[in-house]
Amino acid sequence: MHKAVAAPELSGTSNQAAEVPIDWMERLRPYLYVAPAMLFFALFFFFPIGYVIYLSFFDWSLLNLEEMEWVGLGNFTALMAEEDFWQVLGNTLIYTVVTVGLGILLSFMLALWLNRKAKVYGIVQAAVFSPHIVSLVSIAMLWMWLMDPQYGLLNAILEMVGLPGYSWLSDTKSAMVSLILVSIWKGVGYNTLVFIAGMQSIPKDIYEAADLDHSPWWRTLTRITIPMLSPTMFFLLVINTVSSFQVFDTIYIMTQGGPVNSTNMLVFYIYEQGMDFYNGGAASAASVILLAMVGFLTWLHFRLMEKRVHYR
Amino acid sequence: MKKLQVSMLACVLSVTAVLAGCGSSKEAAGTNTQSGGSTAPQGQTASAGKPVEIDFWYALGGKNGEYIEKMVKDFNASHKDIVVKPAYQGSYYENHSKVLASVSAGNQPDVTMVEVGSIGAFADAKVLEDLGPYANGAEKKYIPGLLGNSYWKDKLYAIPFNRSTPLLYLNRDMLKAAGLDPNGPKTWEELRQFSQAMTKKEGDKTATYGFSTPIDIWFYEALVFQSGGKILTDDNKELAINTEAGKAPLEFWTGMLKEGVMKAPPGEKYNAWDVAKQDFLNQQVGMIFTSTGDLRSLKENAKFDLGTAFLPANKNFGAPTGGANLVMLAKSSDEEKKASWEFMQWMTDTKQTIPFSLESGYMPVTTEAVESEDMKKAYEKEPNFQVAVKQLEYASPRPMVPGYKELQEVIMTEIQRAVLGQASVDEAIQKATEKGQKLLKK
Repeated sequence: MHKAVAAPELSGTSNQAAEVPIDWMERLRPYLYVAPAMLFFALFFFFPIGYVIYLSFFDWSLLNLEEMEWVGLGNFTALMAEEDFWQVLGNTLIYTVVTVGLGILLSFMLALWLNRKAKVYGIVQAAVFSPHIVSLVSIAMLWMWLMDPQYGLLNAILEMVGLPGYSWLSDTKSAMVSLILVSIWKGVGYNTLVFIAGMQSIPKDIYEAADLDHSPWWRTLTRITIPMLSPTMFFLLVINTVSSFQVFDTIYIMTQGGPVNSTNMLVFYIYEQGMDFYNGGAASAASVILLAMVGFLTWLHFRLMEKRVHYR
Repeated sequence: MKKLQVSMLACVLSVTAVLAGCGSSKEAAGTNTQSGGSTAPQGQTASAGKPVEIDFWYALGGKNGEYIEKMVKDFNASHKDIVVKPAYQGSYYENHSKVLASVSAGNQPDVTMVEVGSIGAFADAKVLEDLGPYANGAEKKYIPGLLGNSYWKDKLYAIPFNRSTPLLYLNRDMLKAAGLDPNGPKTWEELRQFSQAMTKKEGDKTATYGFSTPIDIWFYEALVFQSGGKILTDDNKELAINTEAGKAPLEFWTGMLKEGVMKAPPGEKYNAWDVAKQDFLNQQVGMIFTSTGDLRSLKENAKFDLGTAFLPANKNFGAPTGGANLVMLAKSSDEEKKASWEFMQWMTDTKQTIPFSLESGYMPVTTEAVESEDMKKAYEKEPNFQVAVKQLEYASPRPMVPGYKELQEVIMTEIQRAVLGQASVDEAIQKATEKGQKLLKK
């Protein structure tokens, strides 16, 4: 659409450039319109990005900002040599893969089930969606109470049905599982809603045609629903990956990265280094690494999905 | 350029208060008057007779916080020329980060609370004002045992305020029911025996544990001191825990955990403390370690005869002191500093420290207060409140090298590994020492 209109206009101006005076206001106007947004972006997005990259080359502490020492890539090599940092990266990766994978699978199945017209489905949909509108901090506190090994509701239920209590947040092995559970519970409603919206925008005639052909349900699913939903799925994959990578609130409230660093992940690590230990250099370098990884993952998604995503 | 960098950084750091932060940082760079909220230029303030405004950031919530607010109100009512604006900033460490960010942004408070182990870091960074010239010997009124964390490189930087020390809290009803001395165990060995006697099993579940403590650096420090050791060498250059005294606490804890007579409360950091206190109030554990600062609230909520005692001795009694000190920020103006000193002195003076101590359980900070009639009467009525002050005789300051906050996290993580059974005591201490040494060399 755009190109079609713009092309003749452009050629027109180039032909008659000498005669027609250039309307500067007309040319400037679009820039003026986007200026506030761009200014906002520059101030709160590009400037901080550039500045944190700049800061990551210095050894500096929040305690004493007068003494910033240029160390080149020193902060990065120091991080790479740090055993804990690799554990943090590993934790972040496991958390992201499991949260995103399970989260999307679960919400897809829920969406398949809820995508019909009856009052009860609307109610279930609202119930599933409700955690999304509650602040993550409150959710973290609520779950901490549910997961208390001694007084918590979850273990009380487990014991009622004769199962042994689970250690939840107090053990290195179960703490990560618990955090993943909370984030899936929080995110599944939103994902489901987006999936349902996607499903409802699939033209009914395709399904009718499949019905006429007596296509079995699983073929309808794999040949129609999933391909037609691929843009939705792609969108969810990208935003879920990015947000899982940046998990912080639940860690801060529920585990503080523990026990024994088992739930320490990138953003919490950055916070801890910067705000608790005042290692500005390490925190900046880790931020740059986070930025690079999120950027790379998003780029990778786009590259891989370009071929598979079916846009109408 | 340097200045510009710093103030740019300041803006970035004060994301939480972006607009305010940048605004006052510009002001600070331009006119060199770092004001904590006073609007008029300094020269005019005094001549116009306007009161000096100072900002006071504190880090105690709940009842103790309310009491601090009340104290500030009293101060403002009795000092016409000074207006103190109090602001609660979260826990000690949250307050630390906010203070540092605000210092770089130029809108820092004038007086704040700093956790005693962090005084070194703040003083070393020249964030704090040397109080020597203001005090002029006035610091002698404070209990000497509480001044250990006030000096950095022989200069006075901090005044004791809400000071605590860990205590052994006892459920005397449970002790009596088990036929034990209601005054509690005096040694580690007795603590173990008492715990054994008080632990009750129902089937394969433990209904009550004899003893519980958050696996926190503070208690580890206490137990190291009790074993005749220390955390750092005297020159602050080496970690000194790879010794008998450094391992003894872990062996003691892991031994009792294995025996099933001690409970390591689940949760991280302050979460674990809350669990320990809750268990104690629910009478699911008979004895816990926690701060004197919890005395008032535990006492009010306990439905049993609550007692306190010294932490049991290994080779000797011992405990670190804790809590926070009041400090003045170096960036404030002279006028604000003068007002700040007035305020700090007033807050910690005998008249104020007595009721504050009795309201909270924190220790009174002046010698005069401890010896006062009021305090003696109160102690007679509530002997529990005196235990902490008496324990001071055996107390030591917390280590305070500039990087101690990170160092203590490293030590705690490794201790936790041993407590969870993921590493032996030797391995954990070895690892903590290696990592710690690396930090100290930085």
